[in-house]
Amino acid sequence: MRSEYNWRSLLIVALLGIFGALVIVQMVRIQNSPEAQVFRAQSALYGRKLETFHPERGAIYDRNGRLLAGSKTVYEIGVDLANARDKQAIAAAVGMVTGKNSENLYNEMENPPEGVRYLVLADFVDTSAAEQLKQVMDSARQMAAPGQGSRLQGIALNAHPQRDYPEGELGSNLLGFVSYEGRGYFGIEEKYNSLLAGNAVQVWVPTDPNRAIELPNMPTGTTLVLTIDRGLQADVEEILGEALSDYGADQGTIVVMDPRNGGILALASSPRMDPNDFGSYGSIYHNASEFDRAVSMPYEPGSVMKVLTMAAALDSGTVVPSTPFMDTGAIQVGGAIIRNWNDEAWGPQDMVGCLQHSLNVCMAWVAERMGADTFYGYMNRFGFGHLTGVDLAGEAAGRLKVPGDSDWYPVDLGTNAFGQGVSVTPMQMLTAASAVPNGGRMVVPHVLSAMVRDGRQYSVPIQYAGSPISPETARTLNEMLAVSLEQESSSALVPGYRVAGKTGTAEIPGPYGYETGATNASFIGWGPVDDPRFMIYVWLERPSTSIWGSETAAPTFSLVAQKAILALNIAPDSVRKEIAAKP
Amino acid sequence: MNLPQASRSIEHFLHAYAMAPWRAQRQWIGAILLGVIGVGMVAALYLDITSQAAIAGRQIQNMRDDIVAMELVNADLQSQLAQATSSSSMEKRARDLGYEPVKPADLQYLPVPGFVEPQPVILATAGGLRPSAASVAPEYTESLFAWLGRTLEASAENRTEAR
Repeated sequence: MRSEYNWRSLLIVALLGIFGALVIVQMVRIQNSPEAQVFRAQSALYGRKLETFHPERGAIYDRNGRLLAGSKTVYEIGVDLANARDKQAIAAAVGMVTGKNSENLYNEMENPPEGVRYLVLADFVDTSAAEQLKQVMDSARQMAAPGQGSRLQGIALNAHPQRDYPEGELGSNLLGFVSYEGRGYFGIEEKYNSLLAGNAVQVWVPTDPNRAIELPNMPTGTTLVLTIDRGLQADVEEILGEALSDYGADQGTIVVMDPRNGGILALASSPRMDPNDFGSYGSIYHNASEFDRAVSMPYEPGSVMKVLTMAAALDSGTVVPSTPFMDTGAIQVGGAIIRNWNDEAWGPQDMVGCLQHSLNVCMAWVAERMGADTFYGYMNRFGFGHLTGVDLAGEAAGRLKVPGDSDWYPVDLGTNAFGQGVSVTPMQMLTAASAVPNGGRMVVPHVLSAMVRDGRQYSVPIQYAGSPISPETARTLNEMLAVSLEQESSSALVPGYRVAGKTGTAEIPGPYGYETGATNASFIGWGPVDDPRFMIYVWLERPSTSIWGSETAAPTFSLVAQKAILALNIAPDSVRKEIAAKP
Repeated sequence: MNLPQASRSIEHFLHAYAMAPWRAQRQWIGAILLGVIGVGMVAALYLDITSQAAIAGRQIQNMRDDIVAMELVNADLQSQLAQATSSSSMEKRARDLGYEPVKPADLQYLPVPGFVEPQPVILATAGGLRPSAASVAPEYTESLFAWLGRTLEASAENRTEAR
């Protein structure tokens, strides 16, 4: 009896053992079968997925925290071709909301590129159109027969950011724009493209939740705070628009800078474009240098250059403010005759009179007395012919011919002294002249005030571009320019505030010499003279109501200065003196 | 029953108990059961930890998706707010309400002791560090075998250095 039980037990154990062994053998066989290789490959395919990440591009703010460039949500509309049930219905629905030809969309789906399973039908679709499509998809889902999928099954809507400029055209010349590919063009967007970053990145992402830690951490772009004051920028753009209209000028540029630190407070240039509609670039601009004339378009500035000629002459000891000069209306330099702007002789003058009446003959005489080496040495130290280093894309260096250059002639010493035969950008002029209101020290102009990254704000330090003149020279010239404006009763004067500056009316060089009757009208000035807080450069191209800078650019300077005074909260001279006099 | 007899009976019982064949059988059955229970406990623990880790991983994935979506919405709303308060729209609203741009002649300046001119905006203050994958210690991410291997390698290196 007992052995019978043993036999049965052994039989059961053996059967179970054989069964277990068969299970193990089968497991091993399946795992090593050719089909298993296919399944493994499939699991590897589904074990991770290729995802496109769109990290947010860094925002751009003005100095007061007003958003100048941010991001808005747009949609990519795609279709999963394997799940698309009714391609004609999909083409019709997508065509309806995007305005695309539904027949073309259908053909795209019917003939997709080889190996493509997901096809993008439209991108950068705005939120309203995407919402409309979602509603259509919902309706199709409700209308679907029980147990059957929607006719629009397969459509995928993927939200992603797109650059947005809530202020529209405001500040477009200095901001630039961002293309669909996420690359910045012009201005701040191009200069700081790598910092603002936020470019779309395709990454293989593990779908296994146990590997969630491997999900890539996509850093967003750096946020930038600019030195620009939005309110002043809007005012300056408005004034520029009115000046172009009032004086019949072709184009114009106005730059407002803080001479103490080089921070650009406003920069207006024409024409402007709405960076939200960057496709219009080609129809507005003929070449890249037109986008931001303040930094990209060198021109012969004319008499505004006399500020720097006089600075060099004073600093080198060639003249003092009271140095007498007998103006005969003409002077010969390098074998060529140089005349005054009105071809008249102005008689006995001192250096203040030379500046006040903007006498070309006097300036050519001063430059000759200085000598070419001294004159060009100073012009080099003022940075002409070199980049200023302003943080805006597309800066041009201009051209300053110097002795030794194949195209330099002795007469150039005379003409360069009053701003002809030399090409500079408005930004170069501002940088060079900043030495005068800033105690002899030139500042490097900049638009970036601070960067915000990982919750921390980093301020940009002030940079100086050298001290071409002494503080004493700067003080003297500051006073001379203020007096010359006052004695001239210039239209650049600002009620209640003492300002200093200089007009410029320059002939425009053409292929066959200087054009007749066409000028570039400019003005450079700053104030208040005792504590300069703003510096303004105005350039009006080919004004038609008057060719003179004193009648076009100078009054424009005054209007901009009044707005700058309001924006910067600068009390009138009398009030400031009263406050200073109090113990 | 006298005492010697009782003593013999107990000895007999103990001997019979010690010699009982089922007793040896129960010992190895107990040992097997103990092993099965141990393996079961480890398996249950492993399953529990694995499922918890998977749930946490899925939650991380979902939360990351939520963060991306919220960042997108946040940027969108900021942009909408900036549009609503843009220079042109604010000027229009002000004019509609009867305001006019101030003229310099209309201004009165009052000296205010201690007044400091407005400084550029501070958009961020120095905050805490963001946690990132790199800051998680490897002990929390590697397998038991990987940890064992790493520990052995480290101790071997330490010994080599000590020599």
